[in-house]
Formats: sequence, structure tokens, C-alpha cells
Amino acid sequence: MVAVKIEGNRWEGFKGFLRDLLGEGAVGAVVVPYPVPAGDSFAHLLVKEPSRVDHAWPVAPVMTVQGGRVVSRLTRKGPVEVPTVVVLRPCELAAMRELIKLNQVKPQGLLTVSFDCPGAYPLRSYLEGNGEEIKAAFLNALKDFRLAGARPLCQVCIRFTGAWADIEVGFLGAPQGSFYLIAHTPQGEKALEALGYTGQEDLAEREKAVEELTASRVSEREAYFREEFGPQVAGPEALLATFHNCINCHNCMRVCPICFCRECFFESNALKVAPHNYLMRARRKGGLRFMPDTLLFHTGRMNHMSLSCVSCGACEDACPNAVPVSRLFAMVGDRTRAIFQYEPGRDLEEPIPFLDYREEELQEWEEPYIQSTTHCPSSL
Amino acid sequence: MSEPFEPKIVGFLCYWCSYTAADLAGVSRMKYPPNLRVIRVMCSSRVDPVFIIKALLDGADGVLVAGCHPGDCHYQKGNYYARRKVALTKKILESLGLGPERVKLSWIAASEGPKFAQVAKEFTEEIRRLGPNPARAEIFL
Repeated sequence: MVAVKIEGNRWEGFKGFLRDLLGEGAVGAVVVPYPVPAGDSFAHLLVKEPSRVDHAWPVAPVMTVQGGRVVSRLTRKGPVEVPTVVVLRPCELAAMRELIKLNQVKPQGLLTVSFDCPGAYPLRSYLEGNGEEIKAAFLNALKDFRLAGARPLCQVCIRFTGAWADIEVGFLGAPQGSFYLIAHTPQGEKALEALGYTGQEDLAEREKAVEELTASRVSEREAYFREEFGPQVAGPEALLATFHNCINCHNCMRVCPICFCRECFFESNALKVAPHNYLMRARRKGGLRFMPDTLLFHTGRMNHMSLSCVSCGACEDACPNAVPVSRLFAMVGDRTRAIFQYEPGRDLEEPIPFLDYREEELQEWEEPYIQSTTHCPSSL
Repeated sequence: MSEPFEPKIVGFLCYWCSYTAADLAGVSRMKYPPNLRVIRVMCSSRVDPVFIIKALLDGADGVLVAGCHPGDCHYQKGNYYARRKVALTKKILESLGLGPERVKLSWIAASEGPKFAQVAKEFTEEIRRLGPNPARAEIFL
């Protein structure tokens, strides 16, 4: 393992590191968030020219497009031909790793760089607010790791480090005015060595800081879902009230990095039925809301993808009517994943629970199948 | 005066075991409540969790998924997948407070006609105790 401490401004240092990777020829391209010319938002840019990296924002204050989707598009038709760095938030990286398992990303040639993420602002509050002020506040958050006004889900994020990346950029636990570069894979080590970085910095302080923050976030997250958010959404009435504003636009599904299906079941003809079917349902209940099947869409989608949900919050950012979709999916996902002790993105060799089974498991979810005599009278 | 509550239960039965068991219960003239509406599927793993949710949201009071015993699946491992899917669905219903006890997973072999009748009877009684599914009359789903 290679781990080095870089002295100097964290922001400039991070960009300098990316520029050096590209400039020294260690890689051929960099995918990194970049301010759009109008200056009020960000987009991922596939950068070839090293000087362009100077204007990038490797840690952007908002998440416009989920990076997992970006990488998926980049490699849909095959792996990249030149080594390419992709700079991703931890949740984007988790999504990308999940997509590798789902054969939606070809990882060959990609060098992932991730970082201690302070969170992101809700897209809307950022676009409507004063961009310059918010940018300044955000850069400050890289120092103390407190982002006032971050998305609610970011505030209870428990996977906020780049530990799953080839190269992790560590701010936590580093003395002010410095940061760590940590290689977690042979590719990462090779890239760092190409820039002349060798050695093994003592990371005990950092590990302690990460551990402490993780522990407090884990209990905050659990308490938030159990005491604050959970009661607002659980139960038929509360759940319906949560979704009453949903206009069934399916934006949440379209921006989701995990929802990669070319045709979503909920947009397929399976749910488009003849008028008499709607009339029958209306007769049975006395009326039928249009568009129909709103709750079916959301709960159905939970069944299909909550195990792989990385709690990135892209769905909630995309919702035009402020439905707290991402928190709902994160809350449910935390519980469904616990059944299988599964964590999306953790291990590329770990199969998605739908594609795996144990012969002896989950007995509490089934009726006991050891035959009891009451079920099989001998008189038969 | 409203009519007394009669549960409506949708049963997804696997072709190779549980449906055959239902058939056996029928030809053996066993008595069981008529509240179970049977849908035959080729394997319990054919039951997409969305089927279960759809049935419940459209007003079914209970959903039974039944297949071959673990280890006996005609397709080797379908029922193991089905068990994972049903566990997931029940967990989601539980997290949202939507009554996971309205979904039941049961293993009924082809020869177990009496067990089929028993499961149908017990589950109907269970649902009768729970009362009507609140989604039955809910328009704004």
C-alpha cells in the first residue's frame, strides 16, 4: 500500500494531482465535474487537455448527473482504450461498482479516484441560491467537513470516504493545509509511483477520525429513520400522503444509476390495460386516480432495486414535486439489505442477492416446511 | 348494513408441486374455504414481487405464494430465489407499515393435498382476523 501526505492547499492540491496524472502521461483522460459556462451548475467533463483540469471542481457542491451513470455511458460499448481517471463521490463510486456487477460498466482501463465527501446541496436550493456564496461555503466545508444545508440524506451518509477507489483522497484526520493520497489497489499504486509518490504514511489519525464520524453517522442515520422520518411515511395513510404530490413522471427512476433497464416494467405495456380494466377497478373502489399505479411504481421499484440502492439522493434531486423519494428508498433499502447483510459496491465478487441463495436461510420468512403431523394425517 | 367480511386471497401456486397439491385436495374432496383464488405459475420464482404488491394494492386481503419444498424445485433452485424475493417484499411492506402479515410463503409438495387444504384454511382464518385490506377502498393509490 502506498499512502502519502501532500502539503498545501487541499483544493489546489487535488486538482494538481489530477493535472499531474494527465500531464505526466500516467493516464490519457480524466472524467471530472466541471462548472458549466453559465457558471450556475456543474457537469462531468471528459478532459484530455491537462490545463483544463485547473478549472475543474473535483468535489462539486451539487450532484447533477450521478457519476455511476456517466461511467456507464462512457463504457457501454466497450472498455476505454486509454487509461482514464474517473473522479467520483463515494456514492457514485458505489453505484459504478454495482453497475460493474450488473454488466453495465466495463471497468478495464478505468482508474477510480474518490474522496472524503462533505455532502452535496439539494440541486434546487443551489440553482435558486447565490451560486458564488454557496461555492465559497462549500470549499470551506472541505476544511471542517460540516456542510450546512446539505441534503438530508447526505447528513446521515455513512459511506463518505473513497475507500473503495483505486486512489483515495483523504481530508479527514490530515493536519490543516494537507491531505492524503492513498492507493488501495495495484493500479492505484502504479499511478502514484508514476508521479514519484512512494512510502507509507502513518494513517492512524485518519483512521480514528473516519471511525468516529462513521460511528456517529450510523447512529444518527438509524435514529433519523426510526424516530423522525419513519413515522412521517410509515402506515397506509402517511405513505399515501407522502406520495399524493407524485405526478408519476418517473424522473426518479430515470436519473437512478441502478435503474439501468432499457425498458422499465412500470413503463411497459404490462401496466397499460384496456379501458374496461380501469373501469372495473374504479367500480370496485368507487373511483380511480389517474395516472394510476403510483404507489405500485414506487413500492415495485423498491422491490426491484432497493438492494442495490446506494442512497445517492439523485432521485430526490430530480423530483419536481419534492417527494422525499431518496430518504424513503434509503430507509427501506437499509432494512432490506440487512436481511442479506449486503452492501452495494462493497465487493465486486459478492453476487447481488437476487442471483444468489443459501439452502438453509430465511426460515423466519416462510411457514415452517418441516412436515408436521397435523398437515399429513395418516388416513390419506 | 354491510355484508360480513369475506377475505379475498390470491394464491400463486407452482405448477409442479403446490398446484398439483391443490388438484389432489380437489379430487380427494377435501373441504377448504373458497376464499383462495388460485393463479398457476410455472415456478414460485416466477412471482415477481410486483405481482404481490399489485394484488395487495388492488384490494386483495392476502397473497399466498406456494412452491415445492426447498431442495425439491423442478428447476433445481427456483424456490430458493422465490424465498429471497418474498422475504424482501415482506420486509418492504413491514418498513412501510403496509401489513407484511398479509403475505405468506408456504411449501406444499405435490402429494400434500391435506396440507394444501390446511394452509388455505389457516391463512383464510388469519386474514379474517386481520380484517379487510385498507387498500380495498383507497382511490388515491
